[in-house]
Amino acid sequence: MASAGRSARTGAALLAPAFLVMAATLAAPLAALILLSFWTQDGFTIDRSLTLANYARVLTLSDEPTVWNGIPFPFAYPVPAILLVKSLTMSLVATAAVILIAWPMAYFLAFRVTRHKAVWIILLTIPFWTSYLLRVFAWKIVLGYNGAVNSGLMSLGIIREPLEFLLYNPVAVTITLAHSWIAFAVLPIYVSLDKIDRSLLEAASDLGDSRWARFRRITLPLSMPGTISATLLVFIPTVGDYVTPTLVGGPTGTMIGNLVQQLFTRQDNAPLGAAISILTMLVIAVLVLLFLRLVGWRHMRGRG
Amino acid sequence: MNRIRQIDRMAQGKVSRRAMLASAGAFGVGVALLPRPLRAQSGAPLTCLTWGGYDIADYIPGYVAKHGTLPNFSVFGGEEEALAKVRAGFEADVMHPCNYSVGRFVNAGLAKPIDTARLTHWADIFPALQTAEGVMMDGNVVMAPADWGNSSIAYRPDLIDPAFIADPTWGIFYDEAYKGRVSMLDNELVIQIGLMVAGKSYDEVYAVTGPELEAAAKEWGTRGVQTSRFLWTDASEVQQAMASGEIVAAYAWNDLVKNLRAEGVPVAYAVPKEGMFTWFCGLTLLNSGRADEALAYDFIDAWLSPETGKLLIEESGYGHANMKSFEVADASEVAAMGLDDPVKMMADAILFRNPPDAVQNDHNRVWGDVKALAQ
Repeated sequence: MASAGRSARTGAALLAPAFLVMAATLAAPLAALILLSFWTQDGFTIDRSLTLANYARVLTLSDEPTVWNGIPFPFAYPVPAILLVKSLTMSLVATAAVILIAWPMAYFLAFRVTRHKAVWIILLTIPFWTSYLLRVFAWKIVLGYNGAVNSGLMSLGIIREPLEFLLYNPVAVTITLAHSWIAFAVLPIYVSLDKIDRSLLEAASDLGDSRWARFRRITLPLSMPGTISATLLVFIPTVGDYVTPTLVGGPTGTMIGNLVQQLFTRQDNAPLGAAISILTMLVIAVLVLLFLRLVGWRHMRGRG
Repeated sequence: MNRIRQIDRMAQGKVSRRAMLASAGAFGVGVALLPRPLRAQSGAPLTCLTWGGYDIADYIPGYVAKHGTLPNFSVFGGEEEALAKVRAGFEADVMHPCNYSVGRFVNAGLAKPIDTARLTHWADIFPALQTAEGVMMDGNVVMAPADWGNSSIAYRPDLIDPAFIADPTWGIFYDEAYKGRVSMLDNELVIQIGLMVAGKSYDEVYAVTGPELEAAAKEWGTRGVQTSRFLWTDASEVQQAMASGEIVAAYAWNDLVKNLRAEGVPVAYAVPKEGMFTWFCGLTLLNSGRADEALAYDFIDAWLSPETGKLLIEESGYGHANMKSFEVADASEVAAMGLDDPVKMMADAILFRNPPDAVQNDHNRVWGDVKALAQ
């Protein structure tokens, strides 16, 4: 089996560059972030002695809970916990909205479009040919005081004064996040729907299943791998987004990413920002694992 | 078919380096593998950190004429952010701080003394500015003064309550009645000005610390954040909001008033009963850059020229550090601006001050927390 050994070596050699790129661009910065979270900073000086102080600061409990939106947070420094809960809520709402909108789009693409499928898919991706930042700005123009929605409603005489609640609040952030990620959700759902063996649906209808029963027993379960991927693909990045809340969130639309950004850029406390990033990642990881347990790992493997 | 043949040959180890590179090149990854002669680094371009709006050729005609090119600009919305950027390794040669923030760069060990003998316009700078706190530190010139002006309240006289026009006050930014109709700067000043509304003087509050700071942040900081439609970092954003009537009053510099008037928007600049602020900014040499120092001196000198001053006075309504600027600028503009004597301005208005580093860090921290918890 000398040739097998050699092909393994060749395979390893071919994989090595990719592995090194991944290590350099993904693993190394993450390792640096983890290391940084165990240091401390006072003013301009970083103290490189390892300590759990940053984690302790975030997790230390207090007897006097800070009440935020009616929820008591029993922490001495409640800011990260409050913002994390707020960010997770906004992300979950955005993710749910994305899935509810993307699913019918994907279904239409998979089952109703028979000709020029590629054209339809390209149409779907056109908004994503431009920068993420520009799309967020576009929403600012749509939702703005004299933006598209307000001027439209005013010219129709539906409202007299521009609606101010459209922009600079958590709702505006959630809408913008949802729109920004829709295409990323449509594609995986479309792929899993497209793979469904049409003969299963025919067999079901031959055996007298109603349309709803076919959907419930065949289409929906078989689309789960794509739907689950889409959910994670939207949920994970949106929790940490800070660009969108910066531009459309106003004073009340702040998310956890903004706190980390502030700690790094304006509060001279990068180690605390790093610790909050790590804790956020852990919380997201736990939630994702719970979610996968809930919907079942078996779906991830598709049929089988 | 071709692809399969290629993979087969790779697996058999029969593919030549040339063929491998050719196919890699098709995917745009060939360049990294080819040895490239390194370009000489002696001609590193000048990198300038500056305020949004100052990153254009108009303010440095002398530099562009001499070097035929613009420096690299990197724009910031506040000095703390710029400081963090440089400390994180951003290689800037010149920074545009202000009298109350230059000390941060000096204390962080990033500023280089300026040799004023290398600046042709230095002799024409207002003598009061040449020696002002923030220009001279420990006997060195650390900032060449360039632009100066005010921070006060710009408002729409056609939309605002006449009671405010009769008795302008910073209190408008903490007043429930103006919730969502005003915009404050995204800065810890919100806490300090709140204390001034409560009756303290600026000199008492700019370096407030400890429990008093925490209490002020909780009360005034929170109110300020909740009252503002948004906290601005980008001057164009606040200008648009004011032009559309989305907000009726904002913390603003002179240029906002000037720009809106040029657009025909009714706007006035208040002298609040707690006082209006004044500041002067300038250019600081940083030791983090890689460009030739001569380029940095040319850039600073270009900024100090009367031509730049004329533009600053006529276009933005700011004052300029060069006395000759006021001779070449349109006389009616100078009169309209009311900014032709920095000494008088600093006597009449409140000059921003730079608290000790530890205090500044505390202010940054409580301000960040207040913003995070707004609901």
